[in-house]
Amino acid sequence: MIKLKNISFGGKVLLLFLFLNGVSAKCVAQDVDYKAYTLFVYNFMKYVEWPEAQSKGDFVVCIFGESPIQKELAGLASSKKLKGRNIIIKNISKPEDAAGCQLLYVSASKSGNIKALKDQMMGKPILIVGEREGLAKKGAELSFVTMDDDELKFDINKKEIEQHQLKISSQLISLGIVVN
Amino acid sequence: MKKSYKLLLFIFLISSYVSYAQESTNPIAVTDSTKKDTLNYYDMTIEQLLSLKAHGVPSELEKLINSLISVASKKPLNVRESPSIVTLVTAEEIKNSGARDLIDVLRLVPGVDFGVDVQGVVGIGMRGNWAHEGKVLILLDGQEMNEILYATTQFGNHFPIDQIKKIEIIRGPGSAIYGGYAEYGVINIITKQGGDINGVAISGIYGQTEKDYMRRNINLSAGKKLGDFEWSVSGMIGQGQRSDQNYTDVHGNSYSMIGNSALNPAFANIGVSYKGLSFRAIGDFYHTSTQDGYDAIYPKPYTQNFNSMYFELKYLWKVSNKLTITPKLNYKNQSPWKTPQGDSIDPSYLKTATRSTANITASYNPTRKINVVFGGEYYRDMAVDKLPGDTFYNGKQSVSFYNYAFFVQGLIKTRFVNIILGARYDKHNVYGDAFVPRVGLTKKFNRFHFKALYSNSFRAPAIENIDYSGANGIHPERTQVGELELGYQITHNSIFTVNFFDISTKNPIIYYTVGAGTDAYTNQGRTGTYGLEAEYRMKEKWGYISVNYSFYSAAGTQKSAAYRVAQDSSMLLGFASHKVNLNASINILKNLSLNPSGTFYGPRWGYNSVDTSGVAQLHKFSPVILFNLFLKYNTPITGLSIGVGVYDLFNQQFVFIQPYAQPGSVTNLPHAPLPGPPREFIFRLSYNFNFKAKTTN
Repeated sequence: MIKLKNISFGGKVLLLFLFLNGVSAKCVAQDVDYKAYTLFVYNFMKYVEWPEAQSKGDFVVCIFGESPIQKELAGLASSKKLKGRNIIIKNISKPEDAAGCQLLYVSASKSGNIKALKDQMMGKPILIVGEREGLAKKGAELSFVTMDDDELKFDINKKEIEQHQLKISSQLISLGIVVN
Repeated sequence: MKKSYKLLLFIFLISSYVSYAQESTNPIAVTDSTKKDTLNYYDMTIEQLLSLKAHGVPSELEKLINSLISVASKKPLNVRESPSIVTLVTAEEIKNSGARDLIDVLRLVPGVDFGVDVQGVVGIGMRGNWAHEGKVLILLDGQEMNEILYATTQFGNHFPIDQIKKIEIIRGPGSAIYGGYAEYGVINIITKQGGDINGVAISGIYGQTEKDYMRRNINLSAGKKLGDFEWSVSGMIGQGQRSDQNYTDVHGNSYSMIGNSALNPAFANIGVSYKGLSFRAIGDFYHTSTQDGYDAIYPKPYTQNFNSMYFELKYLWKVSNKLTITPKLNYKNQSPWKTPQGDSIDPSYLKTATRSTANITASYNPTRKINVVFGGEYYRDMAVDKLPGDTFYNGKQSVSFYNYAFFVQGLIKTRFVNIILGARYDKHNVYGDAFVPRVGLTKKFNRFHFKALYSNSFRAPAIENIDYSGANGIHPERTQVGELELGYQITHNSIFTVNFFDISTKNPIIYYTVGAGTDAYTNQGRTGTYGLEAEYRMKEKWGYISVNYSFYSAAGTQKSAAYRVAQDSSMLLGFASHKVNLNASINILKNLSLNPSGTFYGPRWGYNSVDTSGVAQLHKFSPVILFNLFLKYNTPITGLSIGVGVYDLFNQQFVFIQPYAQPGSVTNLPHAPLPGPPREFIFRLSYNFNFKAKTTN
């Protein structure tokens, strides 16, 4: 058995680093404020315009992959409406299931699928929102960014938004960061 | 040594688990959509999205540790990812503590300490190393306060701390950005500007010991921000004394410091800016008196003044969203250590030095993840000796030098790590060149952050170092520093950080005398320390508490004789290996706070006497506890606050020890420890007219 006293000082520092990294990883889920993310998503719904055909009936938000935001979005859906429309939250495990969604939220764990999603959703009136930073440059229309001072912001890919037949309000644009 | 590391590790692990358990039940940490406020929350206006944080409503502590600072990187980064070991001191902390001057503020910072130089002047030390002469850069609103004849900055009732907005302190090397006065650290003082003052502010302090007054200063500030135009004018004038104790030189001769250790500041600071264009002028007239010569006291006190004027014209040119170019011109005119002819002291000192600097810095962000800062700097120094018959080493009454520098720094931010690479190259027309690269890795992962830093730095010889260098000449001293910081945010309101450092300086510039006492400087030997600094900070509704511990050792390192303690190889002259600080504020009532602060110093070593053959003797000074208590009351009259307190409650009568010497010399004897203020009762009053509501009183 390895004894602590036999480990060099540098080794102890490394152990400490690994230990803290482990503890830190456990805390990720509870530290991020998904309620704030949900408020942004709600405003995306309000300030993005869908084509006429998608402007009636229930507003369907699909979550691709596991994300703690699901609980918050469910809370939103149970307490708020979008311009008189019910908000429905669906969790999907395959991109093909996103066909009936107006908004597709791509969880951080599914970020690697963004290019495939982009190709599959090409031209369809779906707002793809990436949880992980940088996805707006890879095919999502919007993606979240945490600034250096912890401010929560979002990137906007205007080209993708137009390609998906959506219109984004100037108010929303003024709050985000246009990446192209 | 090993025991202390293990103990720290144990405490840290336990506190991490305890806090983790606590956090899981912390109502702030877990957002719950079933809460009653949900409906209101989602009714926020779109503009209110701008105030949202990724990690929820920030606590006061989180605001502090997530605030952006640029002292360590030029590019603003949050404190936890900034590529240096950094301490941030706020105006609130300064005001709450009742701090009398910068010594009180900086003493509470891990690794920072003070010692005595000569002629009653107190200077700074960093991590056990004497840093007074050009090793710690003091910036005030961007102006380099170090005088350029010896590169020193003098402490003690000098700078207007009531006007400080915040202080960003790099407790490690900064030469790769700031050049030759930032070898061991940078203290970046930022004062309140027009928008911060937004009206008129007046404040005063009176300090009294059992025997005499210690200080009576008045501050006045006015300023306003009107759209793109911002202006501020501030000033301080006062009188102070170093101590009311008796000073005893190494020969055993004494004099009373009452009336003979004046520290009289007069400080003016004007700032005007319009859009990217800004102008600043600072006048610093620090007039002191002392009866200390070098090893022996003088028969009567003499005046010793430090006069400086600083001017800066700067333009922040935003070429595009990605590129900013900042040209700036600086001029400073200084007459430090001014001892007018006609006093009893011999020799008198009447030298004036000027530095004219042109700097251009570009900051380019090709993407949000990449930043490149690069630029160049040129300065020209001129010095004039106004004493009739006196000359510099060139045989003339004036001397001039020039220096040019280029610097570059790249910052790449990835999901896993931020990488900082930088370097600066300086070329001086007399002492040659210095190249100092640095590399840093930093990242925060929610609660945890780390910094791994390696830097080269250098100390540029000052004008008088060159003047007294003799035939051998003088070269920049060079330092290598490795640092590792680990930090863990235990709860929303508390954080623990620990850092390890290893400093190795080659060819330090050493003062010595030759013959019958002629001043001389040379590069000699090595010096350096290694150690750790740990800090715990908690900020709650009831107030805050900060506790930190600093440790250095010189054991096993090569040491120049100038800093060595023969009896204890782990220590260097003047500074305690162990230092513990406490700084707290407790809100007793809504408008009344009790603010305890204090410092524990372990044993220190210093010279305080000579033996029968005239050789200086080392003495081990006992541990000291400085404890202070300050009561601050915000009166019902808007903007008016008063405070009373006591510094050094236990009357420990701290002395500043000289951290360097020439052992064995009978001509260059050390300066005996200089008494600081003993127990001092202070009264503070401040009134802010038309302050913004958000300003903290």
